[in-house]
Amino acid sequence: MDTKPQASREGGGGKGSGRQVAVDLMDRPEKPHMLPVWFFIGVILAIYGVLILATGIYEYSDVPPTVLANLHAPIWWGALLVVVGVVYIERSYPRKKP
Amino acid sequence: MTHATMLSSMTLAMFFDPGGAAARMMSLHPVDYAIIVIYFVMVLAIGFYLKKYTQSGEDFFLAGREMTAWVAGLSFVSANLGTLELMGWAGNAYQYGIMAAHWYWVGAIPAMLFLGIVMMPFYYISKTHSVPGYLQMRYGRAASGLSAVSFAVMTILMSGVNMFAMALVMKVMLGWNLNFSIWVSSLTVGVYVALGGLFSAIFNEVVQFFLIWFGALLIPILGLTESGGWSGVVARIHQNFPNQDFTHMWRPMAHFADNPMGVQWVGIVFGLGAVLSMGYWTTDFLVVQRVISAKDVRAAKLAPVIGSFFKMAVPLIVILPGLLGLAVLPFHLVPASAMQPGQHSFDEVLPLMLARYCGPGLLGLGITALIAGFMSGMAGNVSAFATVWTYDIYRAFMRKDASDRHYVTMGRWCTMIGLLISIGAAYIVTHFGSIMDYVQALFSFFIAPLFGTVLIGMLWKRATGPGGFWGLLAGTVSSIGMFTMVELDPSKVSLVALSPLAKPLAVDMWRALWSGIICVVVTAVVSLMTKPKTDVQLVGLVYGATELPSEGHLPLVKRPIFWAGVSLSLFLVLQWIFW
Repeated sequence: MDTKPQASREGGGGKGSGRQVAVDLMDRPEKPHMLPVWFFIGVILAIYGVLILATGIYEYSDVPPTVLANLHAPIWWGALLVVVGVVYIERSYPRKKP
Repeated sequence: MTHATMLSSMTLAMFFDPGGAAARMMSLHPVDYAIIVIYFVMVLAIGFYLKKYTQSGEDFFLAGREMTAWVAGLSFVSANLGTLELMGWAGNAYQYGIMAAHWYWVGAIPAMLFLGIVMMPFYYISKTHSVPGYLQMRYGRAASGLSAVSFAVMTILMSGVNMFAMALVMKVMLGWNLNFSIWVSSLTVGVYVALGGLFSAIFNEVVQFFLIWFGALLIPILGLTESGGWSGVVARIHQNFPNQDFTHMWRPMAHFADNPMGVQWVGIVFGLGAVLSMGYWTTDFLVVQRVISAKDVRAAKLAPVIGSFFKMAVPLIVILPGLLGLAVLPFHLVPASAMQPGQHSFDEVLPLMLARYCGPGLLGLGITALIAGFMSGMAGNVSAFATVWTYDIYRAFMRKDASDRHYVTMGRWCTMIGLLISIGAAYIVTHFGSIMDYVQALFSFFIAPLFGTVLIGMLWKRATGPGGFWGLLAGTVSSIGMFTMVELDPSKVSLVALSPLAKPLAVDMWRALWSGIICVVVTAVVSLMTKPKTDVQLVGLVYGATELPSEGHLPLVKRPIFWAGVSLSLFLVLQWIFW
């Protein structure tokens, strides 16, 4: 996205599809070569997901005394965190242009 | 303030336990501690990483004006998403029902959209670094100085109060030592803000935003599952509390006596929606600073609009848990003032629901969400304080011609010094708890008049410097006068709120309304008696003297006004659904 002509600070924007809007809003680094904030979000969510998922698997047969423990929330919530975290890391990790 | 100030006295009353008699509410496991430690490591790592990108004053104080609309918008909402607010409004939802959502919807959404569409272009095009900076350009040094000094003092005191509140919550919930909580959290915030400035504060606020949502969202998901969906929640509440209406927002609002809040629709619409929330969301520099950091005008306009969608969703993790508490808890919560040993107060509903559904791991995530909420608020306070002190007080009145590097160094130092003052304030509050209420009230005195001053300055070319200063002063003094009058003689409440039945929340709203009106009237009268600025002097500052960038060439989905319309429509639909 940084290779596109810079829109003026006053006007901003430019023509683009809905896909371009999403990319422009989500992926653009805040400064050149700076890791975007989405990368850090991905890392911490993925780490938390692994920890919570592992805890859920470990306590699967001996659930804690919480309400609805039979739903094994740590397993699916941990898995969700892992998926969201990995997606953010994959989408925001800076790659060298060919 | 719109939220935190109004409720924090109630919230803290529950937690304020100088004797330390309260038992801890929950215990953590090793995995929970690991999650908390990882959070602290991550926020510090972000600060160290961003230091190399924070070289100039614009980098340190305005995040280089490089933020995308999404980052600025999420940070804008996150800076306001404090834990005291989350816990307090969940408690209010338990006490008053879904009416508490007014503070998230009518008390925020119109103001956020107004900021984005009407006011943001002037903040941005004027190239101001702060709200007092805008007042400097529009009205001159007097109004700017009054605003800057009051903001700096109150921000740093508020930071101390919040710091103390966080330590107290952690002590009651987890048994943590007060000193440990205060020093670890504040030094962490101090280090990452001093290193990376607003860059670091904003990055961490966005991370914290995600943690708050992922940490708190399981409560409504599991609560709705247990209750059998929303209809099940309503049925259970009616069964547990017959003859009480907890599930309608506007129906019980015709008269003060019709609802336990003691508020009426006029106060909600005009006091809360038109003045108090407008004042907070459009002129409190703590939140406005996040949007000023956007990379262009369109991003600056879009950021509050994006924020409005998330703000509209916050009741899902705040109000709904309170309502779920009414539906599923096997015991009734009580007011903090009437709490007996073994009982729980209204404001404990969120941690109670967290402990009800979350075991090891998830509990650590929930606690991390609460810590993140506290730290995002604290970082917002210190980064805003550093900017206002350095640019609007130090540079404006003490040293005008220093180098950019000098001001960055000053910003780093005053971040740490500001935090130390906050820690001092936290310890004063530890010993003199009643000071808290007055510190929080002090902040609210400036909000409504400041909104009047800024708005009239943006929309009326004829407003003058003396008009702005005297209007701001008159509005502030009148607000303090009304507060003092009611404190000294509670029977005078009917003079302010037009009813002896009005409760403190209603009095706050009416006081804001009157002080805003007084500010505008005095500004107008004094302006008409003094010499106006020329149109040339007002370019970039006032509607009618400023050429606003056209968005006509953009496709509809890229225009902020389109998304503001979508947000407003959604807001109206929610009012209708929960009428």
